[in-house]
Amino acid sequence: MTLGTTQSPAGQRTRRWKGRRQTAAAIAAVGMASAMILAGCTSGGDSASDSGGSDSASDSGDSADSGDSGDSGGAGASCEEDPDNPLCGSSPTNMQGKTIEFGYSRISGWPPSSAPELMWPQFQEYAQENYGYEVSDLSFAEAPFGELFQKIAPTLASGSSEFNIMIVDSQWLGALAEPGWIVKADNVFDLNPDLDIEPYSSLVTSTYQVYPDGSGQRWGFPQMPDTQGVFLRKDWLDDPANQEAFKAETGKDLPTTYEEYENIMMDDFIEIVAFFNGRVNDAFGTAMMYSKEYDFFSCAYYPFAYSQGGEIWDPETRTVWGVLNSDVNAAALEEFVSLKEFQPETFATQGIGDMIDLFTQGKTFSAFQWLAVGAFMHNPEAPEGGVQSPDQYLAIPLPKFEGPDGEPNIIGAMGGQPWVINAFNDEDQTRVAVDFLKWWYLPETQDTFILEYGGLPWSKEGAANPAYQDIPYLKPFLYMLSEGRSQDFWHEPDYSQMLAIQQEAFSAYATGQISDPMAALEYAAAKQQEILYNAGRSETPPPDGTGELTLQ
Amino acid sequence: MGDSTKPGSGTALLDRQEAALGDGLTIAAKKPKKTWWSWGLLVPVLVFFILMNVVPTIWMLGLSFYNFTLTSAGSPRFIGLDNYEQLASDGPIWLSIGRTFTFMLIAVAVQTVLGAFVGYLFWRSGKIPGRRLALTLLFTPMLITPLASGLFWRLLLDPVFGLINYVMSVLGLEKIPFAQDPTWAFPAVLFVDTWMWTPFMALMTLAALGSVPKAELEAAEVDKLSFWQRLIHVIIPYGKFIIILGILLRTIDVFKTMDLVYLMTNGGPGDRTELIAVALYRLAFKSFNLGYSSALAVLLLLIAIALTSIYLFVLNLRTRREAQN
Repeated sequence: MTLGTTQSPAGQRTRRWKGRRQTAAAIAAVGMASAMILAGCTSGGDSASDSGGSDSASDSGDSADSGDSGDSGGAGASCEEDPDNPLCGSSPTNMQGKTIEFGYSRISGWPPSSAPELMWPQFQEYAQENYGYEVSDLSFAEAPFGELFQKIAPTLASGSSEFNIMIVDSQWLGALAEPGWIVKADNVFDLNPDLDIEPYSSLVTSTYQVYPDGSGQRWGFPQMPDTQGVFLRKDWLDDPANQEAFKAETGKDLPTTYEEYENIMMDDFIEIVAFFNGRVNDAFGTAMMYSKEYDFFSCAYYPFAYSQGGEIWDPETRTVWGVLNSDVNAAALEEFVSLKEFQPETFATQGIGDMIDLFTQGKTFSAFQWLAVGAFMHNPEAPEGGVQSPDQYLAIPLPKFEGPDGEPNIIGAMGGQPWVINAFNDEDQTRVAVDFLKWWYLPETQDTFILEYGGLPWSKEGAANPAYQDIPYLKPFLYMLSEGRSQDFWHEPDYSQMLAIQQEAFSAYATGQISDPMAALEYAAAKQQEILYNAGRSETPPPDGTGELTLQ
Repeated sequence: MGDSTKPGSGTALLDRQEAALGDGLTIAAKKPKKTWWSWGLLVPVLVFFILMNVVPTIWMLGLSFYNFTLTSAGSPRFIGLDNYEQLASDGPIWLSIGRTFTFMLIAVAVQTVLGAFVGYLFWRSGKIPGRRLALTLLFTPMLITPLASGLFWRLLLDPVFGLINYVMSVLGLEKIPFAQDPTWAFPAVLFVDTWMWTPFMALMTLAALGSVPKAELEAAEVDKLSFWQRLIHVIIPYGKFIIILGILLRTIDVFKTMDLVYLMTNGGPGDRTELIAVALYRLAFKSFNLGYSSALAVLLLLIAIALTSIYLFVLNLRTRREAQN
């Protein structure tokens, strides 16, 4: 080959073309290879196509080296017969002298989920004293609600045991259980009946433990229970000048006690909000969560819909279209958004943190808030006019609505998080996880968690503990945790897609991007139906033209 | 196209080399040594490029033909072009793309004009004391990570706790929820992007002005050309390549804007500021719909390739012009 030959234009073209063909062939080959690798993944059971929501996760739960850590067909022999079963936790002998590395995942900016790290030294002592092993300082990774799943899902998808035990949101149970990423809690309960504590109500079980909904199969262990309520400025309510002015303006007495507020109707409550709007230090009447972030808007809106007879889907058939976009829900959405009239201009981005800031800084008379952050609804360093001590506020359950039967009714949204155990733990890590749960549910540990770190009780025994009765937000919390007063939403594996769509639609309506609440609900319902249908989880197809729907 | 046999042109140079060496075989014999050495030097970069760029891209391409959501437990299911078909009729996505192009056009145009103006001011202020400090301050926004800028501006613009609204209220103006209002959110993000990136265009303008030969400028001075004549006949012919490059780099960069918007508005209110990169992030890392988001990523890749091709074309245009001269 000579330079002259290779430099001829024709030769260059030929070579370039050959080169392109080779490149194209190489790309095609790698593309085929990647497609084949992807196809190779399909050799496992396609549990997502199990629209009936059967126990597909349990079939694939045996994914850890530990063998028994997942659900491999039941918990097996009792711990007396087989004390080395990792799901029994440690025996007095099988962990002696060992040193175990341990880590967990938690929600950042959510104080109840950082308590385990702060309390960890006590567990280290417990493990050493009872089982003779040393466990490392607790490593952790944290992210806000909306991002934590992104953090843990890739590690679990790759079979990592980076997070041996995880605090997760209740909606994630399906997404974690279906791929076999977490240990089935029932297997742990079978071997450790002492961990199977009687809950305060069935809401605890259905929210933090069960997947698929209604199946009775438990995957989670309650960590932090949570329900919704309202924080009010008690010092403003108690001010005789405000009471007189209220009487003069409305002809009614201003309610000031918990008992008066426990059964207050939403319309009456809004009258009080309107009265205080701009009355004291130019503060707003109320603050609610309309943020597009995570589930903030949805959870704040749900009580308006649920309590008046609205549903968000049919969990049996997984039908959303025609259920979410109902007249009741549209009216409830309109009502919920209309309350922005009494709120700061930031209403569209308000989330949990904003409720804390606005209320403690004295910018608002009331705040619709998760009761689990009650410990942070005062701030000793708040400026004058703010909430410096818990005596300045009154925590109440959500106000009631007229239910479908005409009776006062309230159904709030459930908050809170369960623990779940990583199915990819090795045997020793699984033992430590179970030991940790045994320690976590000890009454003295719960006392520390609840009294020092802002936790809340979720068991019958805990709720009756006299030591907790002085917690100023316990009463409304337990009221909302009673049977039928709250409900959780989808535990579907596709929850994240469904939620993102819904949040966007609701936010579009709240901010005036679209003016019809039904249009927002139809958009969300159609897209959610499409997601469920495409995932093979619903036999109900989305309505025609779903793809062309926009929020304009 | 210029004459390729002109002195200095690539072909003429090769011809001379060929003549000097006399025999093409001699070159062929020597070539492998050089080639192996060159390839040896390239290997680390190539390995990195293939592992970190080519393989993920091809993997993404493969994934775009599958129905696969990370959280749904189902294995990837081959669905051919379904994702692309769905994409073609996905109204919100096309709105997002349209919004991104609108954002791109306005942002790049405003930043170019402002940047050119600021750059020209600095060019003419060579002897003014404090110029270096002013230049450093000017470039600071560009050096701050967009995440920090987004958060910083979100706080500044906050209607309850923010400084800007506080000042407005002191001046008797009505508070504006910049990041929360459907009318204001898009301009607010545009403003912050302009605040961040106008210095870049100013820098490019300074570089462009610096590339104008001093002699030409002095000649223009002697000829008493007006400002506009100097701009059109002297400055633009020399500086235009650098400015065009700046515009193209910004265009490509704006197309990828995600972090700033995510922090400032999270794509809201509604979807009013959801640029396509934010939508892609939501689909891939919030919804975990990996198949569909891969299809969208492929589409965006094609658009990025088109933009990059223009960039390369402009670069080559300059090389060709220089070769001709």
